[in-house]
Amino acid sequence: MALSYSFKSAFRSLYREKWINILSVFTVASNLFIITLAAFFLYNIELIASNLPERFSIVAYFKDDLSQEETLGILDSLKKRDDILSLKYISKEDAMNDLKKTLGDTSYILEGLSENPLLSSVEIRVKKDFVTSDTVTQISDEIKKMPGIDTVHYGEKIAEAIHLLKRSINNISIIIFLAISSGVIFVIYSTVKILFYRRKEEIEIIKLLGATKGFIRKPFLIEGGVIGFFGGGFVVIGALFFYFAVTYRLSMVIPIFKTLTFPMEILMLLPIIGTTLGIIGSIIALGRLKL
Amino acid sequence: MINFQNVSKYYDGQVILRNITFSIEKGEMAFVTGPSGAGKTTLLKLIYLSERPDDGDIIVGDFHTATLKPSKIPAFRRNIGVVFQDFKLLNNLTIYENVALALRVRGVGEKAIKGAISNALKLVHLRHKAGSYPLTLSGGEQQRVALARAIVAEPVVVLADEPTGNLDPGTAADIMKVFYEVNIRGTTVFIATHNKELCKNTGKRLLKLDGGNLTGNEVG
Repeated sequence: MALSYSFKSAFRSLYREKWINILSVFTVASNLFIITLAAFFLYNIELIASNLPERFSIVAYFKDDLSQEETLGILDSLKKRDDILSLKYISKEDAMNDLKKTLGDTSYILEGLSENPLLSSVEIRVKKDFVTSDTVTQISDEIKKMPGIDTVHYGEKIAEAIHLLKRSINNISIIIFLAISSGVIFVIYSTVKILFYRRKEEIEIIKLLGATKGFIRKPFLIEGGVIGFFGGGFVVIGALFFYFAVTYRLSMVIPIFKTLTFPMEILMLLPIIGTTLGIIGSIIALGRLKL
Repeated sequence: MINFQNVSKYYDGQVILRNITFSIEKGEMAFVTGPSGAGKTTLLKLIYLSERPDDGDIIVGDFHTATLKPSKIPAFRRNIGVVFQDFKLLNNLTIYENVALALRVRGVGEKAIKGAISNALKLVHLRHKAGSYPLTLSGGEQQRVALARAIVAEPVVVLADEPTGNLDPGTAADIMKVFYEVNIRGTTVFIATHNKELCKNTGKRLLKLDGGNLTGNEVG
């Protein structure tokens, strides 16, 4: 019963103070829209960054005098490792053909060679999660120690860069989310504080009638939640409009925009995020209520 | 029911109430009278814990107000119905909603609220004004709404601060009739008034306050 009264009281106040509440809803919406925009771009960067490790590989060259059995033995032991995604064996002949293809018209310089000086090798693709500077170095060192392996080449700097990029994206996401969420909380905090002071006399009367802190707080928590909910709701509409504008209209002019994508389920979370931040803002605004 | 034990109250070093001791029994009706500034309103505020005493203790029912934890104050106040001097009605709520508030803070259901308000408004002859707003009512009518709100939850104690102030004798008599009726039902009633006529020949106890001192405790 008290809850239905709280809802009535909250909606009555939302209507009575409609201008300040509408202003808060739009301020919350613009803050949440910034979060959504940031999430949209970071999500796409993350998507690109997450594909980079799949392109990363280690190349191990076999010693020249290795027999076929010994080569197969090494390949077998590599296949058994948990950190390796796939192997591609490149024989001496394949390597020479590749080189010829690369040299194209100038491949005649290889004609003077009496024998194939290239080494057979294996291209190793490491599983996504292992593409960090430390793990790649460790894997390379272990392969290098295997008998029959001549040298190992790997892009340590690339691995480090990919790892750094991914970590930076995560950190930036957290910073943006925390900073703007604090902004949303502050907006709702200020609004609820104003609403609270405007209703101070009313609250004093209710207190004298025997209202508990919970009874007094509930309508304000609902108000904060409703402001956050509508703020989030407006962003869903805005973000959908933005998404289609970017991916459809803008991609006609700049085709790369067509590759941008965004999980729509996340958008649906915005009203929930808004409501949660609204309630948090209200809790902080009401603070320690004195009876 | 209400027991003052050596209670004193000061504001900015000025004595408002000095060493007040008295007690009102359960089901009793009593008056406190005295000139303006005698400390009557403060005395009532100390009972419903709008103010805390600087010295002494006040026992209301089972509650020792001097040591009452803040979290227990709402439960304590629900035992008391107060008719405030300035009515303290919420102008943005109808008469019905104003009276209902006293029940809603107690967690009473809507169906029970409807019945209780109907009875309370009938008692103060304002049932026809249930949908009106306080500012459309006369002072006397607002006073009666405040009274209805104070008694609607059937508290064990009803306090009233100048409940007939600025009312014509007829309306004042009507209001007093309601207090007597409430008292007959077993509710302890304590009324602060500067109107000595109101407590004359009532057979009820009369406390006299002057300059913060209790100068009399007799039957009126």
